[in-house]
Amino acid sequence: MSAVEVPSQAKRLAPALADAISQSMRDDPRVIVWGEDVRIGVMGPTRGLVDEFGPERVVDCPISEAAFVGAAVGAAVGGLRPVVDIMFSSFAYVAFDQLVNQAGRLRYMTGGQLAVPLVVVGSAGAAGSNAAQHSEVPSALFLQAGGLRVVFPSTPHQAFWLMRAAIESEDPVVVLHHPALGAARGSVSPEPLGLGDAEVDPVGTDVSVFATGLMAQRARAAARSLEPEGISVEVVDVCSLSPMPWDAILGSVEKTGRAVVVDEGRLTCSVASEIAAGLAERAFGALRTGIRRLAVPDVPIPFAPNLEQAVIPDENDIAAAAREIVRG
Amino acid sequence: MSRESVLGERGADWLRTMVRIRRFEETLADLHRSGELVGVVHLSIGQEATAVGICSSLRAGDQITSTHRGHHHMLARGLEPRRMYAEILGRAGGYCGGKGGSMHVSSFSEGAVGANGIVGGGIAHAVGLALAAQTLGKQSVAVAFFGDGAANQGVLFESLNLAALWQVPVLFVCENNGYTEFTPTDAVTAGGSIFARAATFGLPAEAVDGDDVISVHRAADEVLARARNGGGPAFIECRTNRWRGHHEGEESYARPYREPPKPPDPLDRLEEAMAAAGLDAAPLRSRIELEERALVAESLAAARAEPEPETSRAFEDVFA
Repeated sequence: MSAVEVPSQAKRLAPALADAISQSMRDDPRVIVWGEDVRIGVMGPTRGLVDEFGPERVVDCPISEAAFVGAAVGAAVGGLRPVVDIMFSSFAYVAFDQLVNQAGRLRYMTGGQLAVPLVVVGSAGAAGSNAAQHSEVPSALFLQAGGLRVVFPSTPHQAFWLMRAAIESEDPVVVLHHPALGAARGSVSPEPLGLGDAEVDPVGTDVSVFATGLMAQRARAAARSLEPEGISVEVVDVCSLSPMPWDAILGSVEKTGRAVVVDEGRLTCSVASEIAAGLAERAFGALRTGIRRLAVPDVPIPFAPNLEQAVIPDENDIAAAAREIVRG
Repeated sequence: MSRESVLGERGADWLRTMVRIRRFEETLADLHRSGELVGVVHLSIGQEATAVGICSSLRAGDQITSTHRGHHHMLARGLEPRRMYAEILGRAGGYCGGKGGSMHVSSFSEGAVGANGIVGGGIAHAVGLALAAQTLGKQSVAVAFFGDGAANQGVLFESLNLAALWQVPVLFVCENNGYTEFTPTDAVTAGGSIFARAATFGLPAEAVDGDDVISVHRAADEVLARARNGGGPAFIECRTNRWRGHHEGEESYARPYREPPKPPDPLDRLEEAMAAAGLDAAPLRSRIELEERALVAESLAAARAEPEPETSRAFEDVFA
């Protein structure tokens, strides 16, 4: 494999995903892209790929999620490395048998004979009134499924490196990207990031805030807003959810003694719940106070803009929770 | 090739494999009755000709996907009875190390990606396997075995559409045994013809007598030769009969659903066809019966002697 070429200019998040895919396609002829409207690249991660690689390797599919994810499972077993853009990650529910009971099980139930090096990429999260079926963050479902790797980058740097790692992985990987982060620009540093990594930024001493995707961006904003109050927030961006970067998570709380866990998924059995439970089990002695979870209440995402905003944690919610547990 | 010469060339092998499947599965029924075989086991007795007719047209490097009722596909593909028994009995020496069991027997290196516990679950995999073979410049084909139950799964039609669009070398084999688990298929299948549904996607589709191994083999040979030469996908509905229930042991809660069907046994039909072709079929059948019964018994004994998997194996193979 040739040396990785890091994008030289500041990027938005979705084009950084596309850069990683196109580099992988140049490096490895087995990488093939298919899914819904991938030639146009509606959601961004596949935009422009058809110009370089042609319609043979960038394949528009019928809206048949079960079959095109299932065919990708078979193609992966058969020696290709498919990257499937499912558009909205909640469309994966249509293909859940193929993702969960097939991609997530084949290696195990064949005693390790089969590898499924498959990437499924989809947007996750609310981006302004797409309502209940196009706005969810289903990461907890993918974690509970077992057998799937899951990443959820919040910056172009994370997007580039985690997509590369996903394509190189021998496991099925779900790559989530937040549609509301499309406008955020950032540079991609040559320092690689892989499955199982977290990014700690900013470093702080008073309270750890754990978050992914848009929530990680909001957590960083909350950290900045608390600086003038003398509250030092450490944000642990859990950009790899499986493998879960437990060392980084536990290490942060051992330092700060306080934890706020933020999640754009629904509260019950959320990623936030998993992180909070892990902290309670494994870092109880370090905790100076109770863990706070901030997540979407157990309702679907509503349509009306004010209602959508009301159910998703924002910068002020995160700052308030951090302030509250620091000040007591 | 005439019926006589096909039988002369392949009849003995077919008969041997069909006898092996029958005796292998009868033994499983006994093991289930005695309690030695745990879990749910679905037998293919009565459907041997379909598996053998299709698989005898395959080559090394071809791949099959199969179903919850798939022992006959695996044995017809050439998998070893000993390692099959070991898998089905949950032993370390099984094909999947005892982690798959009856519904998930798989041997990738021998051209069997695997059985699948979800009705219709493996169909799309075969489309992808065929695409991979084509993209990687191999001459191999993929075969999706599925039942009449899967003919009412949406993923079948999605997969037919993809295969027809992509023109990949995949053969869809619907093994219509008349029963969707416990329900007569006719009662839950509109339109009256499964293969006609497939034909609407613009690929060659036909129904054959699935209990006549010669008919099945001829149909498969023709479409697989075409697929290997870039002719794209095809669909064969093999009309056969399931002699036993949906799964062994169902009489504890379900009434036996019918008498063994007529017309007669596909094994007897093959033997009679060979005799009619002037082959010395009866002594051959007797010899094969003796040899295959011995093989099945030896294979079972060897599998029983295998250790259970190490407990640590339960925690491996989730990820690479």
